[in-house]
Amino acid sequence: MNTIQLQEGIRDINLTYLMLAQQMIKQDKSAAIFRLGLSQDLVDLIGGLTPAQIIKMASANMLLCGFRFDENILLNMVTDYSKSRMMSQAHAAIMMTSQPVAEMA
Amino acid sequence: MTIKTVIGEAQQVKIAIELIEMGARLQVLQEETTLSRERLLKLYKEVKGESPSKGMLPYSTDWFISWQPNIHSSLFMGIHQFMIKNAGIDGVHALITAYRLYLDQVQGLEGGEAVLSITRAWFLVRFFNARMMQLVPCRECGGHFVAHTNELHANYVCGICHPPARAGKTNVKAKLGRQDVSVGA
Repeated sequence: MNTIQLQEGIRDINLTYLMLAQQMIKQDKSAAIFRLGLSQDLVDLIGGLTPAQIIKMASANMLLCGFRFDENILLNMVTDYSKSRMMSQAHAAIMMTSQPVAEMA
Repeated sequence: MTIKTVIGEAQQVKIAIELIEMGARLQVLQEETTLSRERLLKLYKEVKGESPSKGMLPYSTDWFISWQPNIHSSLFMGIHQFMIKNAGIDGVHALITAYRLYLDQVQGLEGGEAVLSITRAWFLVRFFNARMMQLVPCRECGGHFVAHTNELHANYVCGICHPPARAGKTNVKAKLGRQDVSVGA
């Protein structure tokens, strides 16, 4: 994979992410806050972006969405296959609910 | 909400319809909306095509403690608290949104059966408001789980970190046609 392909991939993901996020926010804002793990301010900001702004933001050559399983224990839970699949997912979901949302500085 | 406006009433009807579609009992609707019992009855029949089930609601706090229900109720309560803390909604809106998100999560699980009904979820929120139940952190995983208040929680370990010996085996029985005998739905 060369640099151009890499950047194209990143742009694709950014665009998909922003558009999906906007769709979710328009449908149900409070549910979107939970699903995206973003604060109200951020959700308002993304929800209010114009298509032109989205395209500009998406072409930043840097991934806009972050990794949410940033705790070791949580990561183990999702990837651990020794437990039954059902329980590890439920477990991870319970732990995710107590994680803080991403906020604007 | 005492002043009756047409818009206000339309919103109440919308809330009632959402709750009915989720399977809420009539008593829940009466508590959570300002509509009269007669109107709610009519609405219920229109939405569901049948009369609401009668009888007492499942009022036990112990149900939330047994293994599988505890996991489901902890998941729901976690989402509910998240909603109140981060999304700035409360009351019936938080209940509806949290329950919808809970169903969302459950669908991803194996079996995909929503063990916690909306009526029980509503009760759970009330138990929390009445401080009869609380969330307790598990000593091993740090996740928060539903438990009675004023119990000894210092060394609490959740049902997923240490599942009881026969946990999850009741499904087999259920498949053989044995009905759950617990009160209500």
